[in-house]
Amino acid sequence: MFQNVYYSFFDWNGLAKPLFTGLKNYVTMFTDRVIARSMINTALWVAFTLVLPATGGLLVAVFVTGVRGEGFFKSIFFIPLTISFVATGVIWAYMFSKELGVLNGLLGMLGISLKPSWLTSVPLNTFAMILAWTWQQLGTNMVMFLMGLGTIPRDPIEACLLDGASSWQTFLHVKLPMLRPITTVVITMAMVNSFKVFDIIYVMTRGGPYSSSETLAVSMFRETFTLFHMGYGAAISVILSIIVIVISAAYIRRMTKRDLLYY
Amino acid sequence: MRWIRKVPLYAVLIILVALWLLPVVSSFLVSFKSSQDFVSQTWADLPTKFFFFQNLETVLKNYKLQNNLLSSLLYSSVGTAVVVICASMAGFSIVRLRPKFNFFLFLVIYSGTLFPFQMYLIPVYRVFNTLGLYDTRAGMILIYSAICIPFSLFVYRGFYTTIPREIEEAAKLDGCGPVRSFWSVFLPQSLSPTAVVALFQATWIWNDLLFGMVLSRQEQIRPIMVAVATMTGYGGGNIPWIMTAVIFTSIPTILLFVALRRFFIQGMVLNISS
Repeated sequence: MFQNVYYSFFDWNGLAKPLFTGLKNYVTMFTDRVIARSMINTALWVAFTLVLPATGGLLVAVFVTGVRGEGFFKSIFFIPLTISFVATGVIWAYMFSKELGVLNGLLGMLGISLKPSWLTSVPLNTFAMILAWTWQQLGTNMVMFLMGLGTIPRDPIEACLLDGASSWQTFLHVKLPMLRPITTVVITMAMVNSFKVFDIIYVMTRGGPYSSSETLAVSMFRETFTLFHMGYGAAISVILSIIVIVISAAYIRRMTKRDLLYY
Repeated sequence: MRWIRKVPLYAVLIILVALWLLPVVSSFLVSFKSSQDFVSQTWADLPTKFFFFQNLETVLKNYKLQNNLLSSLLYSSVGTAVVVICASMAGFSIVRLRPKFNFFLFLVIYSGTLFPFQMYLIPVYRVFNTLGLYDTRAGMILIYSAICIPFSLFVYRGFYTTIPREIEEAAKLDGCGPVRSFWSVFLPQSLSPTAVVALFQATWIWNDLLFGMVLSRQEQIRPIMVAVATMTGYGGGNIPWIMTAVIFTSIPTILLFVALRRFFIQGMVLNISS
């Protein structure tokens, strides 16, 4: 890790002797248009993973509890959990493919002759991949929220309902505040994980066309292991790590505090 | 009148279920089709001939997936075994032998899970190259075990703190040293954390792409998901073949999940909240 920070100050192709260049890698990074695009994409990923898999997981967890056939509905959302990101990527690449894909086929059946090229136009490709990610991740968050909902005691909810609150009001004012610990975990992890997304992007678009759908994690891989700009790649990973650590800092502090109490 | 209020709820759920099932169903459909069927039909048409096994045969012949399958099987099983042994012993010693700075030690090992993998990809790549571990089976097993140990340690540590101290002291009175007490008191009780760790990590290793891609080059060494990923291109490739490969290589993890769902979900919850 320290070595990685160290390399980030060098111009190095992995074979020859590293050349010390100071902060040049970092300066290049902030003027690189590809990296700028990649940062925008990363921001999109983070924002939309908060909306779709995280909030979606909460809503589905709330909807599904107490419904007839609860077990059936839950197991449907579990299906994608077992398969790899690679498999998810392949499956959704097929869903979104332009000529023979399922989604465009569905559009055709509905009488819409529009054939969007989901995976090759910017920023549609990023959104398409976020949908694939949602398909895979929603189940995880649903499990977390179901667990949280399970720990809420019945009494305050019944008291509210007796006082004439609607089920929506109970959810907003009683359940949601009580879910807070779980919500923090889910939101932190959703953000951190969206920074690390690699497999799905690699399989679905290889970051392309022309690096337009890369996130920082994919750019780092391309710079380092395809172009062998080791120092530059290291610099990207340093920035990526700093962002991740800052985001999870509050959460880590809470965790260590809890653990110290343990001793 | 209550059921009327529930109608929109069911409608939303059923739409979601349809959305979640659509990719699964259409993937299976595609893998059953021959290449001719795939090009001439729309996605919803049933195949004219059941072609799954022919597809599988072609895939195995053309892409030699069986090599990668064997490699991945090796990595998953040996890697998981190494992880279980190391993590259970480390968890035991941190919780029960209470070395000085035990919490600090735990944090050092645990910090491995906080940083994104990208942070140590380059140093690991370099170390592997200088030590001659790059592109070897031993190297792959080593890196997978190393990545999995922090989380497993977390699970074991959490579990061992729940074992009452009296039991350990009773064992001590009966003349058990730490090794003996680990072996015959703690280990027999840790079936459930072991199941969680083994299942979760074996699946993780099986599904990994990044490390396999960075740390190996030969077809013989590369794990299965790398092989599947290289079958794809910019949405190109022969889709019935790729889909067959995807379904075939996902079968082991799906079976494990179905058989041991309880442990799997427990592991997932721990992984997120850790």
